[in-house]
Amino acid sequence: MSKRFINGTDFSTMVAAGAEFLAARVQNVNALNVFPVPDGDTGTNMNLTLSSGAESLRKKPSAHLGEAAETFAKGLLMGARGNSGVILSQLFRGFAKGVAGLSQADPQAFATALQQGVETAYKAVIKPVEGTILTVSREAAKHGMAVSRRADNILDLLNEVHGQAQRALARTPEQLPVLKQVGVVDAGGQGLVFIYAGFIQALRQDGGSPAPVIAEPPQGNAQAHLPAEKKRSAQSQLATEEIEFGYCTEFIVKLGTRMLQDHAFSEDEFRRQMGRLGDSLLVVADGELVKVHIHTEAPGDVMNAAMKYGALTKIKIENMREQHTHILEQDEYSEDGSLIPATNNPVDAAEIAEEKAYGFVAIAAGSGISDIFTSIGVDYVLSGGQTMNPSTADIVEAVNRVRANTVFVLPNNSNIILAAEQAKELAQRNIEVIRTKTMQQGMAALLAFQENADLSANLDAMRRAVQQIRSGQVTFAVRDSQFADITIKEGNYLAMAENQIVAASPDLLAVCMELMQKMIVNGDEMVTVFTGADADEDVTNRMLARIKEQFPEVELEVHFGGQPLYFYLFSVE
Amino acid sequence: MPIEMAGENGKILISDEVIAVVAGSAALDCYGLVGMSSRKLKDGIAEMLGRENLGRGVAVRRENDMLHIDLYVIVSYGTKISEVAHNIQLKVKYVLNEIVGLHVDHVNIFVQGVRVSR
Repeated sequence: MSKRFINGTDFSTMVAAGAEFLAARVQNVNALNVFPVPDGDTGTNMNLTLSSGAESLRKKPSAHLGEAAETFAKGLLMGARGNSGVILSQLFRGFAKGVAGLSQADPQAFATALQQGVETAYKAVIKPVEGTILTVSREAAKHGMAVSRRADNILDLLNEVHGQAQRALARTPEQLPVLKQVGVVDAGGQGLVFIYAGFIQALRQDGGSPAPVIAEPPQGNAQAHLPAEKKRSAQSQLATEEIEFGYCTEFIVKLGTRMLQDHAFSEDEFRRQMGRLGDSLLVVADGELVKVHIHTEAPGDVMNAAMKYGALTKIKIENMREQHTHILEQDEYSEDGSLIPATNNPVDAAEIAEEKAYGFVAIAAGSGISDIFTSIGVDYVLSGGQTMNPSTADIVEAVNRVRANTVFVLPNNSNIILAAEQAKELAQRNIEVIRTKTMQQGMAALLAFQENADLSANLDAMRRAVQQIRSGQVTFAVRDSQFADITIKEGNYLAMAENQIVAASPDLLAVCMELMQKMIVNGDEMVTVFTGADADEDVTNRMLARIKEQFPEVELEVHFGGQPLYFYLFSVE
Repeated sequence: MPIEMAGENGKILISDEVIAVVAGSAALDCYGLVGMSSRKLKDGIAEMLGRENLGRGVAVRRENDMLHIDLYVIVSYGTKISEVAHNIQLKVKYVLNEIVGLHVDHVNIFVQGVRVSR
């Protein structure tokens, strides 16, 4: 019998075995190394990193799992070498966070910690490259989460994790062209698979399990690391014609709503009935509701059978042959039995998405500006601006659509602030209005937002950011007027800094330059320009050239804003 | 000052901007790097929006016939900064050599910020 729980001592044994297993195969890993730099030292780096972690654990042993994992993670960090070493240190840093405070872990806790490791590792990368150790660790952990409930002990769990890691590894050449070109799997991923294999070996010796000896991962020259049959089997899982049950069917049965005497609900019996109609069956019952997920050829039969027990709701049927490239993801379930939404399926994602702590609604004019707001985290962009102000009702509706406890509203126009304030009284959610008067202020506020900070800290930071940014805009006059000592003629171009008119002239370029003169003061380094729907490319280019010439110290960023009426929006920092 | 390569068929001129973009793009592939920074210590709208501007935070310099690349980066909290920086150096050198066929003498990494995500 292998252990259901592992403690710090077991973990140390696993780590030591993992390090040993990898150390013996350093050359195999080095031989695969073509990414990110083909210098053949991935194995060496991982080995050095891992032995540094194992060494720390040896020096400071603990029977407390959380403490042992912490010590290990620190050792890894200190000894991190190379790209793969740094990633490894992050995987176990997250793992350590996952088991912090636990003296021992069962399969579920262990899988959760693995998953947390993956999440931590992904946070440290701006553009994750698929087909690397990151991919392998992610797929392995995801699978671990899916099977952790069923796993009786850590060994079972790790066998599953290791198996999935190997399958993910076999797929890496399909994901990273440079691997395919050379005909190898990813070196870092292979290193991780070896480490898992070492863990398993330790647990097996420890628990004296009669399970068969683990298959040694392919060895020898680089070519041999791409086992042909394994590669084929991974692909065949993706082959459309081999999908036996073509419809991914999900629904919830509301028990009792149509219950007949002879159909009293028995979860086991229900599962048996459903099981005859397809595979990948998942039945989760909680007294009144039964969630069903099944892959079947006859969704109609499935639903007819289920309907005997109650009304159906949240019905979703997808043709998996059409989506066959995503089938592997579709087969995975999170721990609580709900389907992990495929990332390409926004409807699914929205449906299952949990309520966030914070959300954003911004009012913006122009497609480019809207896109920018969306790209930096606004959940809902309401179109509006100088002439087309959204009503309080519009704002309330937008806020109610955002699934978040607190919704920040960025009016981005002084004329909309009041409507936004009123929305506060009417919406079902907690609204905080950041009184932004320009698009630029709205962006600055958004960028100051920190997901993990509390509400008052966020409000402080965002309001400060609004104060710090300087906004300027260029538009045109609709009638003759006089402002301070500036005489304005109809049709003149008008430059405003913080909503104060600072220049007017029939020459667009001159107005822009005058505005820049006023806005850029000593020490300013960044000018961001958002070009309006009516901006002329030629004028824009000439203006940019002049700004560069007159303010050589300044860095320029240009974005398409697409805003109406305003030729240019400027922000200066 | 563009890089010039002369051959029997004629000349090839590669501008510094190209080198900056290639270097910046290679750096972005590196684990632990979460952003490029402006050359001056300042962050704000421009920095966050400037993702597609791959040349941002990259300076290409020449000193006594030696080619130097300066990269201004932001790394993730909890990674070993020296190691992340070292990886970026290797990657940038390798990619520039591979794509541009360029010998780079120095890749200097200026760690301008640390992003803490929790």
